Amino acid sequence: MNILELTGISKKYDKETLRNLNLKIKKGANLGLIGPTGCGKTTLLRIIDLLENPDSGKIIFKDINVLNCSKKDKMNVRRKIGMVFQKPVVFRGTVMENVSYGPKIRGQDKNAITEKIIETLKSLGLDGYEDRNASSLSGGETQRMALARVLINEPELLVLDEPTANLDPLSTEKIESVILGLKKKETTIIMATHDLIQGQRLCEEIAILNHEILQIGPPEDVFSKPKNRFVADFVGVKNILQGHAEVTSEGLSTVNTGSLTIYSSESLKGSVHVSIRPEDITLSLDKVKTSALNEFKGEISEIRKQGALVNVKISVSNEFFMVYMTRKSFLDMELTIGSPVWIQFKASAVHVFR
Amino acid sequence: MNEIFNGILQAINLILTLNPEVVEITTRTLFISLSATFIGAIISIPIGGLINFKKFRGKRSLINLIQTLYSLPTVLVGLFVFLLLSQSGIFGDLRLLFTPTGMIIGQIILIMPILIGFTITALKSVGNDIIDLSISMGASEFQAIYTIMREAKYAIMAAVILGFGRAISEVGVAIMIGGNIRGFTRVITTTISLETSKGNLEISIALGIILLGIALIINLLLNQIQEH
Repeated sequence: MNILELTGISKKYDKETLRNLNLKIKKGANLGLIGPTGCGKTTLLRIIDLLENPDSGKIIFKDINVLNCSKKDKMNVRRKIGMVFQKPVVFRGTVMENVSYGPKIRGQDKNAITEKIIETLKSLGLDGYEDRNASSLSGGETQRMALARVLINEPELLVLDEPTANLDPLSTEKIESVILGLKKKETTIIMATHDLIQGQRLCEEIAILNHEILQIGPPEDVFSKPKNRFVADFVGVKNILQGHAEVTSEGLSTVNTGSLTIYSSESLKGSVHVSIRPEDITLSLDKVKTSALNEFKGEISEIRKQGALVNVKISVSNEFFMVYMTRKSFLDMELTIGSPVWIQFKASAVHVFR
Repeated sequence: MNEIFNGILQAINLILTLNPEVVEITTRTLFISLSATFIGAIISIPIGGLINFKKFRGKRSLINLIQTLYSLPTVLVGLFVFLLLSQSGIFGDLRLLFTPTGMIIGQIILIMPILIGFTITALKSVGNDIIDLSISMGASEFQAIYTIMREAKYAIMAAVILGFGRAISEVGVAIMIGGNIRGFTRVITTTISLETSKGNLEISIALGIILLGIALIINLLLNQIQEH
């Protein structure tokens, strides 16, 4: 069951912020929204939180057409969605008064849920904070309080706009552990983040956003099988080459970059990009007997030490390949700039996309 | 100089011995101005809220008009209310001219622009992020407005105190609507102007000291509120 369906969402301020965006979110899903600055992340989240109306498009929350319903229905939908904003916001008063805001406007008896509030605060490392003045809290404490403030209402959909951006490590850790704990409760979560690694760690699916959803899928797919050049560049896929692909009869395709012909086990015809993960490329001093269909001779053009690894850039004809090797192998092979080497990689390691 | 010095000494005497006339005038002044402020606030704060939250054509112009009326000359308001309450006026039959009640009405009309205008400013200064938060949390329109008013609580209080300050220190309305009738409509400001011109400095100075004292208390209250 989809808890949220966005169709054809467009929103323009002075420039097009969201362009014909489509997104379907299953109940219980855990989606990370990643994109460069200005991609429309915050606008999209505000539209999902019903704080702003899109210029065009449809929003369906469970069964309700949210852009076309009564004020009361819209308010009730809002009560099922909880959002934590990027910049912490507090009401005047104590932490307790802040966190009990939701229950208060829902007409719940404050005393009945005092214990629940204290429990929630505890889970976020804020025990004993109930009577503190909310505006005296640090940034991290305020965001944790903000999360408690929405969680107390048991939202069906939780929307987080960069919840740990610029926060101290303790606050980040507390917030992340609470988010992970929500998986059991079947809360649907949409989280915008700048941090690719955090996205990978906390989310089951990632969507790359740049005014529209460019790719959506499990992190492994998005990070190693980008669907287009933008996603590839954005997630930091290395070794991207451009060329023309043709499918051969053996279920392989050949991609001609102009200077090289590369074999790939993926089949996409025409003008394409290919990417090969550095970890999938092996390096040797001599030509070796290998099952890898791709083998090229080149020379080392750049060497960069990166902790326990060495990044080696190899030029092959007019193209460049980035390869990682251990410091030991590097030293054993006695490589320097200009050293002639052979690189190998399998056809299955070559990802082809538009 | 001697006369003034003597006047001050006698004024202090009048205050310390709780001279009946001084007490009577002070009590009436506080009653009239506090009533005007209280009733004025009850009417003006909701109006300020309505103007601030609703979108309508001419909103900008209306707010400009209200702000222009802040420093309306008190004698003009006095004249306006006089015309309304006089025998030939619309409310002439109510016989409110030269009564404390008439003075209260006059002061209400005088301070309403300040009360409404400053309420609007106070509400406008509540950040959009707070409004977003209330709505995001599922507050109804009414609940959101209440929340914003609570956030602007101190700024609105300051507006009310300012209104009281203007009401209690004005002469124009009090003298034209009240008529400065001894034992009935005499207030601090009107008494000071009358008695000084008659040469009775002691009572003028005494009432002046009291009025200054009230102004000081108002200032202290405002400072307290500023801290929030």
